[in-house]
Amino acid sequence: MQTKENDLVMIALFAALVAVLGLLPAIPMPWGIPVTAQSLGVMLAGAVLGAKRGGLSMLLFIGLVALGLPLLAGGRGGLGVFVSPTAGFVVGFPVAAFVTGVVMQNLRIDAMVASGIASLIGGIVVLYVMGIGGFWMLTDKGLMASITIMATYIPGDLVKVVLTAIVVGALVKARPQSLLSRQ
Amino acid sequence: MLALTSDIHTPLHNWRAGVKLGLLSIAIVTLYLLKSPVLLAGAAGLTALLYRSFGAKFAAQGLRMLKPLRFFLGFILLWQVILGDAATGFAIVLRLATAVSLANLVTLSTRLDDLIDLVIWLASPARFIGLSPKPLALSIALVVRFVPVLLERANHMADAFRARSTKRPTFYIILPLIVSVLEDADHVALALRARGGLDGAFNP
Amino acid sequence: MIQIQSLSCQYGDKTVLDTITLELTQARVGIVGRNGSGKSTLARAFSGLIRPEQGRILINGIDVLNDRKSSLSAVGILFQNPDHQIIFPTVEEEISFGLRQLGHSKADASTKTDETLANFGKSDWAKRPVSTLSQGQRHLVCLMSVLAMAPSVIILDEPFSGLDIPTTRALQKRLNQLDQTLIHITHDPAMIADYDRVLWIEGGKIIADGAPETVLPEYLRVMEADDAGAHL
Repeated sequence: MQTKENDLVMIALFAALVAVLGLLPAIPMPWGIPVTAQSLGVMLAGAVLGAKRGGLSMLLFIGLVALGLPLLAGGRGGLGVFVSPTAGFVVGFPVAAFVTGVVMQNLRIDAMVASGIASLIGGIVVLYVMGIGGFWMLTDKGLMASITIMATYIPGDLVKVVLTAIVVGALVKARPQSLLSRQ
Repeated sequence: MLALTSDIHTPLHNWRAGVKLGLLSIAIVTLYLLKSPVLLAGAAGLTALLYRSFGAKFAAQGLRMLKPLRFFLGFILLWQVILGDAATGFAIVLRLATAVSLANLVTLSTRLDDLIDLVIWLASPARFIGLSPKPLALSIALVVRFVPVLLERANHMADAFRARSTKRPTFYIILPLIVSVLEDADHVALALRARGGLDGAFNP
Repeated sequence: MIQIQSLSCQYGDKTVLDTITLELTQARVGIVGRNGSGKSTLARAFSGLIRPEQGRILINGIDVLNDRKSSLSAVGILFQNPDHQIIFPTVEEEISFGLRQLGHSKADASTKTDETLANFGKSDWAKRPVSTLSQGQRHLVCLMSVLAMAPSVIILDEPFSGLDIPTTRALQKRLNQLDQTLIHITHDPAMIADYDRVLWIEGGKIIADGAPETVLPEYLRVMEADDAGAHL
């Protein structure tokens, strides 16, 4: 029985999960922001919860970051995040989860394959467009500079697309009722 | 859970959250209108003085929060210098560093509860169109409550994994962690309903 | 008084509770059964948390499933894992939440929260983050939150699993002193040895009902038999 309380709790717990994924041991990068499992959480929020709940969950997450909780990868948080060069990525979390969810809900093929495609579109294409767009806006068109730095994160994100598909594939077997994007 | 609010008490701690946010918005818009590196350097200097006036320890906290930016800023500056436009490079770096520092100043000097109250207050007009700030208040509470729970569990899972393997655990604990969260969600939703759920009288 | 009228519950095609009819008037009722016997489902049904296929549950005349508002002061439930029950980050917020749900004003709820904490000698816990409390202390927070709402019946769903012996004893002592009707669901007969009435549930049906001295020895005999059929 999926009640409105279930929806609320799922949204909140996924936001907490994304925070925790950003705190787990990570691969450090020389420019400060480590490669963590956080964006995997964003992809999963969309792929598991669906567009609306996934988007709301990530909106809640970045809202709490804005309120000053150090929930972003590397323990970052606060209002400063939203005027820093990577603001576009953070603001892109809810959009990325939403788009991932939209694709997942409309691509009526095998859930595992669908989640891979969905997270590639939502978690990489959409997120990078927003991330690079934000960088461009905040740094007066330093477009090439931004793309150069951000490109170093793409290999890690491709791994996360595969992981999203693996997790969704496992959920289909273990807990199909929890795959709300396919209910 | 530990918010980023500073324990070092500053006069800014006593200001109302809404006032601080309003002033911050004006300051950031102004920074983006300024194009001259000289004026931006002045703004950066004033911001640094403001931090310093609250004590060396507080200023050090502010600097620490800027640390993740240093490579980005250095890279942008280098890029612009290579392009032959050092002035723009300095302007961008000074503007970003100042904007982030001022925003962090609000974060450092405002209690989480005050900010939550402000958000709930801002969401309150929605009551008139039938939307309640209640789900918002409940979900904020749930996240703050569950981050330490999930972190502790993730660490337990990582320990259990390490006890039987020499590999890095992060990759392997993600699936069990997510399954556990989905199970939690069912239980928590039930417990929430046991105390009236979203239909109860509680209103933030 | 608790009345259960031909209650049936199913998960998919599995019947978890099979047309149970009961009337409970005693102050202390224990429910025993092995894992998967349906006792946890019964606990949830008592609190109006699941929609049965058939039947209804009345507590002091209140239909707990369909009258959620009144059921809040009729029945409270203490779950197995406090981490699933505690919603708020601090003790004070957690206790006052239930009171606010009942319709008390913020100030009123705050006063009653302080009273509840003082009753348990834990006034210093008010501002504490729940994450800094031990497992046993979290159980106590759950109990205080439920008691603050003053329901006339409290359902206990294996509330002592995972607690050490002194903590179990301390919590049990607190529970024994309560004026409320307690319905204690457990697989451990020792917990309910001095209760007024014990129900033994198996395969979704009540297979024994009576005083602990008559029900529990037989329950123990069957559970300890070699072929009791452990679910592994």
